Amino acid sequence: MKKPKVVNKKWLVIVIIIVFLMVFSLLEEQKNVSARSIVLAMSVDLIDDEYEVGIQLLRTDLKDKQEFITYSTTGAHLTEILEKLSHDSGGSVSLCHTMVLILGQELLTKDQDRAMRFFIENEELCNNTMIVASKDSPLETLSVKLSNGQGGGYYLGGMLRNIVTDLGVIPITIKDYIKNRYRIGNCVYLPCVSVEKTGETTFLSVKESFITDGFNYSILSESATKGLSLVLNKLKSGELSYMLDNKMGQVDIVKSSADIKVEPDTANVKIKAKLNDRAYVPENIDEERSVEVLQKNIKVYVEECFSACQEKGLDIFYLGQRAYAQGEDFYQQNDFLKNMKLKVEVNITMK
Amino acid sequence: MENIQKNKIYEEQFLLLAFISIVTFKIVMLPQYLISTASNNSYMVMFFMVAIEVMMLTVVFGIVKNGSILEQNIPKWLKGALAILVFLSSIIKCTVRGSEGIAYISTSLYANVSWTFITLALVITCIYIAEQGGKVLARSAQIFFWVIAFAVAFFMIFSQINLDPLNLMPFKISGELAIAGDKYLMWFGDFTPLLFVTVVPSKNHGKKRLAIWTALAVLCVFLFSVGLMLIFICTFGNAGELMGNAFLNVSSLNKIFFMIGSADLPTVLSWLVMYVVKFSLLLYAMISCAKFFFGDKMIISLICGIIVYCIICFGIGNLNTNYILATSWLRYLIISIEFAVIIAAYIAMRVSQSKKQQNAQSDNLAQPNANQTDMTQGEI
Repeated sequence: MKKPKVVNKKWLVIVIIIVFLMVFSLLEEQKNVSARSIVLAMSVDLIDDEYEVGIQLLRTDLKDKQEFITYSTTGAHLTEILEKLSHDSGGSVSLCHTMVLILGQELLTKDQDRAMRFFIENEELCNNTMIVASKDSPLETLSVKLSNGQGGGYYLGGMLRNIVTDLGVIPITIKDYIKNRYRIGNCVYLPCVSVEKTGETTFLSVKESFITDGFNYSILSESATKGLSLVLNKLKSGELSYMLDNKMGQVDIVKSSADIKVEPDTANVKIKAKLNDRAYVPENIDEERSVEVLQKNIKVYVEECFSACQEKGLDIFYLGQRAYAQGEDFYQQNDFLKNMKLKVEVNITMK
Repeated sequence: MENIQKNKIYEEQFLLLAFISIVTFKIVMLPQYLISTASNNSYMVMFFMVAIEVMMLTVVFGIVKNGSILEQNIPKWLKGALAILVFLSSIIKCTVRGSEGIAYISTSLYANVSWTFITLALVITCIYIAEQGGKVLARSAQIFFWVIAFAVAFFMIFSQINLDPLNLMPFKISGELAIAGDKYLMWFGDFTPLLFVTVVPSKNHGKKRLAIWTALAVLCVFLFSVGLMLIFICTFGNAGELMGNAFLNVSSLNKIFFMIGSADLPTVLSWLVMYVVKFSLLLYAMISCAKFFFGDKMIISLICGIIVYCIICFGIGNLNTNYILATSWLRYLIISIEFAVIIAAYIAMRVSQSKKQQNAQSDNLAQPNANQTDMTQGEI
């Protein structure tokens, strides 16, 4: 007599797989999300050959009250510091949702990218983590409580994501940073942030740029930063202001991009911009003259950016890399950047 | 007979398996390794090697159209020799290349989970698929294909990559390309597991349709391997040598990822299903070879699984050892086996076919004589 089948083999396999998947996290001691310290923003600086690291967490209580808490510690190795921070914050530090990494000037110019390589190689941070340089102490920028109640780091992370194609600072991710460091000249540009106070209002100012090749650095003014973004970024928004006959005008950027060609002693920058004068143009202003003034202003911005970096030996427009891409080798000469002259051509179309 | 049925797959399914077989291990760590050796021109190595693989797979297609290598009318000793070689190649690929996938899962899906559990889960699943035969494997690939298609569609709709063609310049053919091609041979030459299926023409599709599918498959292979490599170089330049997991790094650059923080699941899953198919395919080749010697028993599959599990967990254990093994002399052994087996199998198939034809001809010649004799006898 045939025995009745108690369990179908196929279903047995399925049940085993389901049970296995369910108990998988128990077997491997995977930390529950609630047992993790989800870091929203982070700061790293180098002080006396030791790293000073700060992390910002968001804690919500039962009444939905939000509180931004900052923990910080110092140490010689980042692994050891993260362990210390895990201990202090009461949960395993998880950096995969970190929105922004605030770096100190010392770290950017003296660390030789040891900390940055740690984050990249260990895939500690996710691809879209923004990085900024801080004019003040990075820890102060991270932990500052802004007038809107938000933590400095958290606010910065959210803000930078919305200005990617704006005229002004160029927000960059940690991967962009490394990509630029690998280019000839090793030059990187980062938004430079500073804590400002007006009366009782505390806010973060992100108008300048920090340029470094890992040793030398230059902080670009607001206008030079505009020049930088006009040359290196593909813009889709932002405003350009100008003065004509003592009247102020303003135009919106619809689209702007640049092309750079390099020769042994000249760098030719061609900027193509499509502008919209619907924002604010005073009456009785000649459009042709406005365009001329705007062209002149843009030239000044770009030249200011280039000369500020050239002075410090920083190849911000990656002219060496461009020469290499063209198959030329004149970028290897010592005074290549020093003798370089900049020619800027601006082509404006008003819409 | 049951075995033949278990391994019968349609032409389109073969193309899908071939696509997964070629692409899977070339889109994770290989771009990083190639850039570290041949910098921004390394996509040429990828193009050259993939082109060779596509050509070799057309030979494999020609062989398996006449039946699986173990079912063809070739001498048993030759089948045995080929089975030993393929078993050796598959076990090395399965463990050395397979552990790359384990590392991927342990870091991309979990936060550094121990390899022992991941390997266990994977080996159980893949052995189960492999044990079911080529038909189930091909059907699984067909089902999984939609996950890959969804991930590609997701990437195309939401991608936000800042491509810089400057990173590809200057176009230069140098000795570094040859060095890169030599050093990373282990990542190429994935043909032999497909020798164990029998390809039959699909019921509904004509020759024209098959030609279109073949062209599409070849195009997809180049887009996924060389295309991804180009995007990877344009995005990260020479810094690509620091970026492991090219597929994930490129596809995670999408609008949603920038808005909400993490939207890489479609990519993670799509590679994972490709990996399951590829890993199962390698195990399937191993099991088929082992069963040729020891008979069609379930225990053979289990033993193969246990061997693979032990080598991955206790022999390799981490990505560094994996890299050392993959770039060791083993790569020459593997690539020689892959090419030699295909060439030998092709020659054996042609010889057996021509013998068959000769026999048929001699039978035909003998037949009229026999008829004549009968007639004469009848007359007498």
